[in-house]
Amino acid sequence: MKGNVIKYDRDNIDTDVIIPGQYLKVHDYAELATHAMEGLDPDFHSKVKEGDFILSGKNFGCGSSREHAPIALSHSGVKAVLALSFARIFYRNSVDGAFLLPIEIEEDAYNGISEGDEIDIDISKNEIKNLTKSQTYKMKPFSEIIGKIIEAGGLFNYKP
Amino acid sequence: MGKTLFEKIWDAHIVVGKEIGPSLIYIDRHLVHEVTSPQAFDGLRMNNRKVRRPDLTIATMDHNVPTTDRGLPILDQTSSIQIQTLEKNCQDFGIQLFDINSPNQGIVHVIGPQLGITLPGSTIVCGDSHTSTHGAFGALAFGIGTSEVEHVLASQTLWLEKPKPFEIRVEGKRKNPHAVTAKDIVLSIIKNIGTGGGTGTVIEYRGEGIEDLSMEQRMTICNMSIEAGARAGLVAPDEKTYDYLRGRQYTPKNYESLVDYWRENLKSDNDAKFDKKFTLHIDDIAPQVSWGTNPGMTCDVTETVPTPDEFSKGDANQKKGAEKALDYMDLEAGTPIEDIKIDRVFIGSCTNARLEDLIEASKVIKGQKISPDVRAMVVPGSQMVKKQAEEMGLDKIFTDANFEWREAGCSMCLGMNPDILSPGERCASTSNRNFEGRQGTGGRTHLVSPVMAAAAAINGHFVDVRKMDLS
Repeated sequence: MKGNVIKYDRDNIDTDVIIPGQYLKVHDYAELATHAMEGLDPDFHSKVKEGDFILSGKNFGCGSSREHAPIALSHSGVKAVLALSFARIFYRNSVDGAFLLPIEIEEDAYNGISEGDEIDIDISKNEIKNLTKSQTYKMKPFSEIIGKIIEAGGLFNYKP
Repeated sequence: MGKTLFEKIWDAHIVVGKEIGPSLIYIDRHLVHEVTSPQAFDGLRMNNRKVRRPDLTIATMDHNVPTTDRGLPILDQTSSIQIQTLEKNCQDFGIQLFDINSPNQGIVHVIGPQLGITLPGSTIVCGDSHTSTHGAFGALAFGIGTSEVEHVLASQTLWLEKPKPFEIRVEGKRKNPHAVTAKDIVLSIIKNIGTGGGTGTVIEYRGEGIEDLSMEQRMTICNMSIEAGARAGLVAPDEKTYDYLRGRQYTPKNYESLVDYWRENLKSDNDAKFDKKFTLHIDDIAPQVSWGTNPGMTCDVTETVPTPDEFSKGDANQKKGAEKALDYMDLEAGTPIEDIKIDRVFIGSCTNARLEDLIEASKVIKGQKISPDVRAMVVPGSQMVKKQAEEMGLDKIFTDANFEWREAGCSMCLGMNPDILSPGERCASTSNRNFEGRQGTGGRTHLVSPVMAAAAAINGHFVDVRKMDLS
């Protein structure tokens, strides 16, 4: 899975900046996507491309249980969020609806990858290749159940 | 080895799985509201599924209902559609709904306990992160997303990974429990352990400082567990818990025999092992005020706004976060908290809009007027809280002081209905999140207790309520 990185080098990116509360009434996912990250980066919608990744610090997705958050990112074209850690509800929402991959990374990837870098994520090897900088980092493997839900394509397809 | 209270509840609800690793967990109560449920019901329809246990599912509308006159039509078309959709879904699937005109309508986490729906030892979920509130009754209660809402509607179960038990002890006695409240205790905890400090855990709050609290105060503590990143927070039930639930509208008929069972079983064993521990001593804690854009960015009312270096203690990302927060909040480091002027006051939300909260706040403002520079509102947590408060004459105290007295709902906690801040407005709020834009685009939120919010309304800036007579 190859794509370019949009980096927010801070912790605690919360669900209210990922998709502000006033848009929780929007049921059209394409429209929802036009407001993704609006609370933090009003230019996000114009710069994000299909297949991009977001890179950020600790506790990504903290706050509300709104599934609109991974939905808005997913329908903006974001295929994965790489972060030092995730808030649990956002993490689970991302995989339950097969919206995007929440990938936990270590400090080397967080510090090594810059805005705009092209990276290649290989889940089978738990490896991230930085094609721009010719570096390789480890990603934290998914737990058994999360891996299986991802493989199945969402919670409702998961069979234990 | 002994078990923690959380582990006992977990083990009692395993349908499939082992005590370690992922398990299919049975859900005893599912609370539903208008914002996170429409796609879940759509999913059921698309797959020809029914609601597995409509009798264990209860719905209300709270997030985007207007808090003004309920006799008028809802002007916001999209809110109106979401509300009508919930009505139709509840009708089609046979779910009990407390609609906008019901005397039981209110914020889902206020009405659950009030109606006796929240029970000790049970598992409770809702498509809302503040479901942790119900943990005050010794329930395992947590927020879920819409896919999980659909899964619970269809199966009354959830696939979960077992969180780790985290013991937070609150020790000592507050010198002035009217001025230093449950809100100040929980903000102090989050300030210390951080917004990610509870990630992957279920917190059990223990110790003298918790036992001393009323049920409503314990709810304030458990409510904000999610702001520390925890899956849930709970308190072992005691006689206060059982007294609170006795005789409520939906309290089970065999209640006393349940209480006998709970007394025996719902506590952590003496030799239970917690993976993580933290102790807060509360003898000398001060009223808390958040200065930044997450609940961990909080300090004593007597302090000054910290510099990013003071706050971050060498962590680059924390420093950057603090710089951005100060910029967003339009605050300069070194400013005394008591010098911060406010434009708005919001007393409401699932954190602090119960009867006790309104009683305590009313003591501060009785016989006074709010500052002419401030617009203030009270939004009771439920229509029942509103009615009880009105019977006590609290509405009159608030309106005489020029507070607006509203109908129940989530209101200005999350900016989904017309109750929002204008860009740049600064609000003393009893809610739970001070995220950027949370109360309206460009709005600036300071999290405080109800008495601190009330005192700020009168003075037009934050003041230390320990200087006031609140007995």
